[in-house]
Amino acid sequence: MSLSSVGDRTRERYQATVPEHVRDRLEEHRPLLLVLPGLIAFSLFMFFPLAYTIYLSFTDAEPATVFQDGPGGLTGFFGLRGEESFVGLENYIAVFSDPTFWNSLGVTWLFVICSVALKVLFGVGIAMIMTSDRVKGRRYMRSIIIIPWALPPIFTITIWSGIFSSAQFGLANQAVIFLGFSEQAWLNDRWMAFASYLLTEMWLAYPFMVIITVSALQAVSDELMDAAKVDGAGYFHRFWHVTVPSIKRPVMFAAILTAAASFTQFLIPYVFNRGGPNRANELIVLHGYQEAFNFNAYGAGAAIMMSAVAFIGAFMIVAVWKGRLAEGVDGP
Amino acid sequence: MTVREWFSNKIRNDVRTVVQKPAEWREDVAYTVDGMRRGTIDPLDVAKTVLATLATIVFVFVLLIPVYWIFIIALQGEGATLYSTDSAGLIPSQFDPAAFVWVIGDIAIPGAIVGITIPFTDIEFYISWPRIVFLDASNYVDSTSDFPRYFRNSMFISFWTVVFAMLMIVPAAYAFSRREFAGRMKLLYGYILFTQVGAGLGIASVIALYTIFSSMGVTNNRLVLAFYYAAMAVPFNTWLLKTYMDSIPTSLEEAAIMDGASPFRVAWEVVLPLAKPGIATIFIFIFLVGWMEFIIAQLILSPEHYTLPVGLFSLIDEHNVPWGQFSAFALVYASPVVFIYMFAQRYIEDGFSFGGTKG
Repeated sequence: MSLSSVGDRTRERYQATVPEHVRDRLEEHRPLLLVLPGLIAFSLFMFFPLAYTIYLSFTDAEPATVFQDGPGGLTGFFGLRGEESFVGLENYIAVFSDPTFWNSLGVTWLFVICSVALKVLFGVGIAMIMTSDRVKGRRYMRSIIIIPWALPPIFTITIWSGIFSSAQFGLANQAVIFLGFSEQAWLNDRWMAFASYLLTEMWLAYPFMVIITVSALQAVSDELMDAAKVDGAGYFHRFWHVTVPSIKRPVMFAAILTAAASFTQFLIPYVFNRGGPNRANELIVLHGYQEAFNFNAYGAGAAIMMSAVAFIGAFMIVAVWKGRLAEGVDGP
Repeated sequence: MTVREWFSNKIRNDVRTVVQKPAEWREDVAYTVDGMRRGTIDPLDVAKTVLATLATIVFVFVLLIPVYWIFIIALQGEGATLYSTDSAGLIPSQFDPAAFVWVIGDIAIPGAIVGITIPFTDIEFYISWPRIVFLDASNYVDSTSDFPRYFRNSMFISFWTVVFAMLMIVPAAYAFSRREFAGRMKLLYGYILFTQVGAGLGIASVIALYTIFSSMGVTNNRLVLAFYYAAMAVPFNTWLLKTYMDSIPTSLEEAAIMDGASPFRVAWEVVLPLAKPGIATIFIFIFLVGWMEFIIAQLILSPEHYTLPVGLFSLIDEHNVPWGQFSAFALVYASPVVFIYMFAQRYIEDGFSFGGTKG
């Protein structure tokens, strides 16, 4: 019996058992079947935990209750639910009346605003240098300069935490001592720690800005540039009136994306000093994480996370609407 | 062209470029000097260019000082200490590979006994060989790190991540690129959106994820973690591979269809072989997801299943950071990523032209 006859017989049986209209539907939507496994897996791990976070935020979940064997069945999400009970909006009320939450939210927004401004200035500056005709070998330098992007985040962030080590050993302290000052306990002071977060975030994210800006700069029309030169426009005049308008859109696009990344920054404060000193610098995602895993308040932690998602969602909608992000996807 | 040929061609080109560059530069310099002597090139102009280039080189170095610094510390041996600055300066005072030996441990082929039975006969024989040691770590350091164990865990997780992800992504990318179906463009836009916001939402739902994993009793399960990584890798890599497949001309497929090949055979024998470079690219990206992810891994894995990033962090989790050992560990962990990245960089830059949604 040849292999193809087995295939034929399987097909016959398939045609005999599956009704024709079902077969037609399957035929018609077959490409969708190829997409579905990935889509389902992604949705399972992206949307289900998100929905479950919403559920947890309305309960008094904590390790003592949530890991117990629950009622089971449909209402118990087939055993997923523990012994936690509904508390309505209690978590949200508790969170919104807690000053540490508002402190955390304020610090997060400050972090986003400062780091995006720094990243854009720094990224565009580097991109300008790296496309300048005066600099020879700029292509090679470009490929070296975006190395920080390739390094694992946990690697770079732990290195930076060593740089800001309060011991003499830290690179930041060596620089300070070299300049004639005494050594600093960088991460024990609130604003010093905040500044060190900013510097690290800038270092981690500038390669992304550089890549986007360089490709935008290369698209700046040479003719326009030459025309401006002939008209006697100086360097800064040309930069402001020719370069900036043509790179504005892609840089905006990159800035919005990187703002979203800054808003959910977790590793930097976590690795540096757990958002310290005294929880003063807990960025919002870390704040929710600490509430859940350090203070065992899963419900309150989930409420914080959902507030963060709401804020970032609102920000993205405004950004998409204002910055016309969708056009950015179609190409600058 | 097989993937191996494709890669070896690329590498050969890169090496050739590197070897030929100095000669080119020398010619450039000779030309410039000649021009200045004859007065066709303005020396002031040359001086400006040289100064600008030198300043940029210094600037690049300053930017990358953190990486250079960790490299220097790693070369100072195991005992680079917290309270002396001389072992952490920018100019190395001594070279000592002990920290690297501590990370790698013994380099050896394990000894074994293999029994071979020839079927249908009674002949049985054994081959045994002793443990062959190339480098005995105990000659240099007192103890060795857990790096080999973390490495095995990372490899295990990354391997299964790649397997799961490929099974989901390759058919989907093909369907996106070559087939028409309801909601195709909407899904594609959704995927592109989630390449950007997915990571943030993933962290925001970390509490629920941990609760779900715990309730189902699958914490510390490396396969579940691998499946999670694979699922999270779907949007970006499907989009990337779809973009690559779009660039493959359809004429070959049309010819195969004319010859009577079934749709499955067209996909399997025409499109997939042509898409190999694209598949190799997403292979790297997917592999690196498992290699680099830290937050979820440290939350759900127990020490015996720690991956490399979690192991790295556990080194500094104590009060006293062994900087020499930490640096060597970190460098060994990160260096493959950098090499892969340097090699794949131009393709990544191409991918960022944001043109991938057309069609």
